[in-house]
Amino acid sequence: MTETTTRPDRACCAEAERASNVTRRSLLKAVGLGTVAIAAGPMVGMRAAFGAVDAGWSGDTVVVLSLRGGFDGLSAVAPIGDPDYALNRPTIGVPSGSAFQLDSMFGMHPALNALQSLWTSNKLAFVHAAGMASPNRSHFAAMDEMERAAPGSSARSGWLDRTLALHTVGGPFSAVQMGSSSLPESLAGPYPVLGMDSISGFNLKGAGSTQAGRDRWRNALNALHVQAPAGLHDSAAGTLGALDTAAGLGTYTPGNGASYPNVGVGNALKNAAQLIKAQVGVRVLTIDLGDWDMHANLGTVGNGWMRDNLTELGGALKAFATDLGPLLDSTTLVTISEFGRRVAENESGGVDHGWGNVMMVLSGHVVQGVHGTWPTLAPTKLTQGDLTATTDYRAVLADILVNRTGASVAQVAEVFPGYTGASSLPGVTTA
Amino acid sequence: MEVDQATLSRRRVLGAGAAVVAATAASTVAAPAAQAAQAPANPTATAAVVKKVYMQRVVSYRYNPSTRVTTVTKAVRVSVIARFYGTKVYLKNSRGVWTQIPYVWSSRSKALTFSRYLQLQLTPKPKPPATPAVGTVVTLPPSWASASAYHNTDWTRHLLNRAGYGPTPAELVTVHSMGYVGWLEAQLNPSRVSDTACDAVLARLPAQSASIWRVKHALDTGLNAWDQYNSVLQDFTVRALMSKRQLLTVMEDFWGNHFNVTIYSDGTAESRAHYAYTIRSRAFGKFTDLLTAISKHPAMLTYLNNRESTAVAPNENQGRELLELHTVGVETAYGEAGVLNSARMLTGLGVDSDSGEYAYQPWNHWTGAVKVLGFSHANASDTGGEAVVNAYLSYLSHHPATATRLARKLATRFVSDTPSAALIALMAKTYLAFDTAIAPMLRVMFSSAEFAHSVGGKVARPYEHLLSTARRMGITPALDNFNAPMQLIYMADDAGHNPFGQPFPTGQPDTADHWESTAATLFRWNNTWNVVNNYPSDVVRPLLLNVVVGPTLPATHGALVDVIATNLFGHTLAADHKTAVLAFLGVTADKVVSSSSAAVSYGLQSLVAVLLDSPYATLR
Repeated sequence: MTETTTRPDRACCAEAERASNVTRRSLLKAVGLGTVAIAAGPMVGMRAAFGAVDAGWSGDTVVVLSLRGGFDGLSAVAPIGDPDYALNRPTIGVPSGSAFQLDSMFGMHPALNALQSLWTSNKLAFVHAAGMASPNRSHFAAMDEMERAAPGSSARSGWLDRTLALHTVGGPFSAVQMGSSSLPESLAGPYPVLGMDSISGFNLKGAGSTQAGRDRWRNALNALHVQAPAGLHDSAAGTLGALDTAAGLGTYTPGNGASYPNVGVGNALKNAAQLIKAQVGVRVLTIDLGDWDMHANLGTVGNGWMRDNLTELGGALKAFATDLGPLLDSTTLVTISEFGRRVAENESGGVDHGWGNVMMVLSGHVVQGVHGTWPTLAPTKLTQGDLTATTDYRAVLADILVNRTGASVAQVAEVFPGYTGASSLPGVTTA
Repeated sequence: MEVDQATLSRRRVLGAGAAVVAATAASTVAAPAAQAAQAPANPTATAAVVKKVYMQRVVSYRYNPSTRVTTVTKAVRVSVIARFYGTKVYLKNSRGVWTQIPYVWSSRSKALTFSRYLQLQLTPKPKPPATPAVGTVVTLPPSWASASAYHNTDWTRHLLNRAGYGPTPAELVTVHSMGYVGWLEAQLNPSRVSDTACDAVLARLPAQSASIWRVKHALDTGLNAWDQYNSVLQDFTVRALMSKRQLLTVMEDFWGNHFNVTIYSDGTAESRAHYAYTIRSRAFGKFTDLLTAISKHPAMLTYLNNRESTAVAPNENQGRELLELHTVGVETAYGEAGVLNSARMLTGLGVDSDSGEYAYQPWNHWTGAVKVLGFSHANASDTGGEAVVNAYLSYLSHHPATATRLARKLATRFVSDTPSAALIALMAKTYLAFDTAIAPMLRVMFSSAEFAHSVGGKVARPYEHLLSTARRMGITPALDNFNAPMQLIYMADDAGHNPFGQPFPTGQPDTADHWESTAATLFRWNNTWNVVNNYPSDVVRPLLLNVVVGPTLPATHGALVDVIATNLFGHTLAADHKTAVLAFLGVTADKVVSSSSAAVSYGLQSLVAVLLDSPYATLR
């Protein structure tokens, strides 16, 4: 074996230098990680690298909850004041009398009643008739387009990756997909992302659940990586540190008496809250929630598929806000879905793929209200039978980026290439 | 016309220059007797004689190469002016120069008579080149060197790590016995490599070479689209795991990502398997052919929207990626006008919606003059559009920027994350010299000192590491179901590396820096643990102790670590690593091993996993 890693025949460039004889310390400095305590010699737990403050990020933790399958915003936040609503939805529509009245036009589905207190305490806002600039009614194509969020550009990354790229690289928990390890396209790109089913599932299988087991594996893996190239060495060190951090979080009891529904979205949000409260440097966290593709048997206001799903969603969001308590002031959650549903119900008691939709924003700094411009459901105002999107979904995200993460208008243009609306934001959140 | 038959004896024909014949030369091969002076016995001593003689000009003949006897079956008797010099006979050629002809004088026939043997002697032979042309064959690199603190210079493992998905005991024997050049040349001609065991497993999957219309019909009549997509991944993974054609499988990954059509993309269920098959069957041939097949493939035409592109509204997606990703690269100055013209040319390349097959649709083709980089064409007719595209694709594939880009990508895949400019230039030059053929480029790369000096210098990406672990453990899919290949895919997917799952047309990144995340690392480690233990679940799995230790237990734990490391990596661990592993086991080196020792019973999986989690296995 030789330890030679320098090869004189290589072209001299930054990459070659990195691959050859640059020291780990200088490398880390070069990418702005000088303060992270990974260096040659014994590895230290990543926990030591985090103070209570994430030095590279002063904004909110942004939680993006993706409602996969095409969320029916016309059920969740029903335009009960629009005369065409009841006409189009004679069996599945939300009757005006049963809705929680948000304003003169909109009523919230009673299955979301858990959210009433958040609404009245100015923690919850909606944007209605939001969507992409033009309709795309294919699930995958619409998700791709929405999460890449760069139409007409050749950007090969998602909008959250580009958001994270505005800042120096954070710790291993700075970008997390919670609830499943497969990453959303919004996070695709160079920024390292941690995907996990749950915090308790974030462990090294061979080491088991004891401290002694973790110590044994950490020591061996540390020693075996000492001579590894910088990138391999540092990713091993970072992983071992993150494992210690996660193990140190221990069992979790939600705060303030919060009670999460024991379903996917409830558990994912509970884990998210645990990470946020542990202050391990979460900048962006994504959660996928599927099962919204209700072509048939959507149910009625008091029974069925939509009622059940909204009940779980509302309960989970309410528990999340309750659990976070004051930390909701530095957390912003936004929902997004690839498209809304057709205005008219179909003969199977469901709704087909549509366009305009509702987005929910949960934060300590929202402006209560149903934002946006309501195009009405009048037949002449529909687009091929669909609610016309009058607010670009990027406007809502830009509003959060500017007000809640401190992004400039120019930085928004980096996140959303070709989007020029950031100079006049819809005002869903406040700085 | 007179028909004559003449049989020349071997001895007569051999007469030219042969001493034994010299004695009989006067009667057999002498100049015509009509000449006043008899031909002398020693032909070399005489002067040339020019004379008008008869010639049995041959029309047809038989020739026996073993006896060297020519039997003329049909000839025409003509009169010619011939020049005789010894036994050699000359006629003037069209330029008036005396030229030796394959005829000899027959005193029996009193005429010049054809000799096929002599004709063969006179036919100029092609000269073999002094040295084989660069790129025609792999040559053995002069020396080997490790680029890693964890590797020695074992070229058999190096080959299987780079030109394959990692070593197995059987493949190490094969590579060693065939030799460096022999194994690589066989890999570059995959149809010559027998692959029966793998083929038998693949036969249980839907035929991947089935016509698109056939798959579409099956989908229309009940075949599950997810199953069809997954069969592509299963087929590929079985081959990565088991195929003897390892280099072909690596190249399928390479081209499959170069021409990425993200698996599960809308509308490609019927064409995705055929797409992979199309790549597989052209992986070593001419890039022009590969590019043309890809550019007209329904999977690509669907994925990059060209099937929707029309003369009125050209969709730029495929026209742009053709330049940016498939050929010259974004750093080449084709500009937005180039993109538009590229898209315009591609209009008409479509998909028949009924069959799902490729169709050129002239009614969609944009006509008018086009120009992209140095390519221009009048493009005057709607029916001529496909020919314009063919010429355009040929132009792009021969462009120096394409050559350099492909060379860099291949060198990055096989040699180093930072290949030298010299190697890239050599590969690009070879690619162009061989009319865009891919194999010669690979040959010069595998012949290079740079490749031979890069042992251990690449980091295995998650899928590569997972498959190398599965190969080391010797697992193969169960006989009664196909769960295991899909389980492997999901494991790789968890680590972020579905081999054909990159959500963008760019394909999965190839360099280590893209895979240095906590998630990729943890999933790599946990995947290793799973594969060493019990997952994928539905596999034929050899006993771990047999795989990593063998039939005889070493005497001590120190020796045990040495034996396992040697079986896994071909050599023992560095001293400090061995110390760390013994500490992991909680024993000293001289602690005696018995069959009940933890390290060879319930603790064996941990020991193997921690070794496979280390750079000994992660670096390749």
